[in-house]
Amino acid sequence: MDELTIAMPKGRIFEEAYELLVGAGYDLPKELDDSRKLIVEAPNEKFRFILAKPMDVPTYVEHGVADIGIAGKDVLLEHDRDVHELLDLGISACYIATAGLPDTEMDEVTPRIATKYPAVASHYYRSKGEQVEIIELNGSIELAPLIGLSDRIVDIVSTGRTLKDNGLVEYEKIADITSRLIANPVSYRLKQQRITELVDKLREQVER
Amino acid sequence: MTIEMFEKPLGMRDDFPLIAKQKADLRKQGTQLIERAGYELLQTPTLEYYETIGKISAISDDALFKLLDSQGKTLVLRPDMTSPIARVAASKLLREKMPIRLGYYSNVFRAQKREGGRPAEFEQMGVELIGDDSLYADAEVISLAWDILKELDVGSARTVIGHTRLLELILADFGLDAEQSGKVRELFVAKNGVGVEQLAKELPIPEGKLASFLKLMQATTVADWKQWINEENEEQRELYRDMERLEQLLGRNGLGDAVTFDISFSSHMTYYTGLVFEFYGAGSGFPLGSGGRYDGLMEQFGLQVGATGFGLRVDRLLESVTPEKAEQPHTLILFDEQNEQYAFDKAQQLRNSGKRVTLQYAPAVKALEPFTALFTEVIRGEELHNG
Repeated sequence: MDELTIAMPKGRIFEEAYELLVGAGYDLPKELDDSRKLIVEAPNEKFRFILAKPMDVPTYVEHGVADIGIAGKDVLLEHDRDVHELLDLGISACYIATAGLPDTEMDEVTPRIATKYPAVASHYYRSKGEQVEIIELNGSIELAPLIGLSDRIVDIVSTGRTLKDNGLVEYEKIADITSRLIANPVSYRLKQQRITELVDKLREQVER
Repeated sequence: MTIEMFEKPLGMRDDFPLIAKQKADLRKQGTQLIERAGYELLQTPTLEYYETIGKISAISDDALFKLLDSQGKTLVLRPDMTSPIARVAASKLLREKMPIRLGYYSNVFRAQKREGGRPAEFEQMGVELIGDDSLYADAEVISLAWDILKELDVGSARTVIGHTRLLELILADFGLDAEQSGKVRELFVAKNGVGVEQLAKELPIPEGKLASFLKLMQATTVADWKQWINEENEEQRELYRDMERLEQLLGRNGLGDAVTFDISFSSHMTYYTGLVFEFYGAGSGFPLGSGGRYDGLMEQFGLQVGATGFGLRVDRLLESVTPEKAEQPHTLILFDEQNEQYAFDKAQQLRNSGKRVTLQYAPAVKALEPFTALFTEVIRGEELHNG
């Protein structure tokens, strides 16, 4: 049996994905995430997990240092990586939307958009034929309209709680986001049997 | 912005001696097999017209390096080898001698947008068999590429084969028009299973056929393809029979277990019209090479002939190939004014006997210790003088 290297984001997505794998009948060690280790092994299944920043998962998979990975669709949309998107795991559901202060019009000439997803935002406004100035931020995007940095923000919305607490409202929905199982194109061919088996087992779990 | 002294343009690389040596070895091994299979090597210009090669090459426009010549014409650095070779083959010179077998080892250029690490210039090695539209031509080029991978000792090598035309016909049978099947193909190229499932819901596929449609991406053998073949359609029937024969031919050439027949396999290179294939191997996270049948490309040069070929990427082959570790013997002769004649004679004598010899004037070397450590044998001039 080929060893399979799996890149996983730390935190909540990891826990949900872990449950899915266990549910699919894979024999994984009890405590995987609670150490500070970056690489953990599941010898019984010949799995090796690489625990990574969510944004980096597609990078590891594209370069083939991880055969497969679990990545949010938001990351896949933002970085156009050469990876196969095999299965919608249906976990960590949320969406990308535009938001801003209530009852405000965007600046007529060049509205400013603050976001952690410059490529997604730029693509969205371009497809609407609107010229905008994209301001890239790394966190606390909600701050931008409050302090007059931007007219709108483009960000992930899961419950809408953060927006509400900061007095912002959602304007347009851009895309639905869930976590996806992705594979390196070469690994997919060289370890096709194992990967397809994993996809089938996970699909059963997801559809239940 | 000032340019730093040691910087190179985005995606350009220096090949240090070790890599240059490995590449030269690889080139020798590969081109030897190509020539032995009856192919003639050729070289086309680095610069081509944007209007012809640039547009025909099927490389996206923003990946082309463009420049202007002194007459204001737009030129491109050649982005691939297939289209220039098609041009050469279609020229009057070679037209009469079809079928022709041409091989190449050349660098090609593709501008990179992100990550300075990706090369914008890389070598490709491959062949084009032009003027033969039979199945044997396809089998020949696939087997030749395979022989090169075997010769280079690429680990767990594998090839995936699809068929552009057959896929087109099958998609049409699912009730898709050209635009819809184009969308499906795009998702197939990226093997975006999630995208295909989502798109399938919007397509006019009859309820009962949906499960069969979603299975398109799972086929691995020619026998798997049978379920989608419409026996009443003559073209489909014949193409399918061709695939069965190809499977046999490749099996006979020793590729048997190493081939995956995936009907959904498609290439982003839009000029492929029939068989398409790609090669993979352990050690590289990217495909080692690809190829296919491109009769349509020849048509653009006004020629109604079949053509097929493959190209292997040398930079990725290097990742997959374990270089020979054995150190090559390398002799150093250190001399000075007193013994220069002895040293020169000795060097000549050793070189004539096939040895690799570096001749160095000793006083010019600042740090003798680290310098001599680079060699497997050191001869000092005074030893020659005395003995």
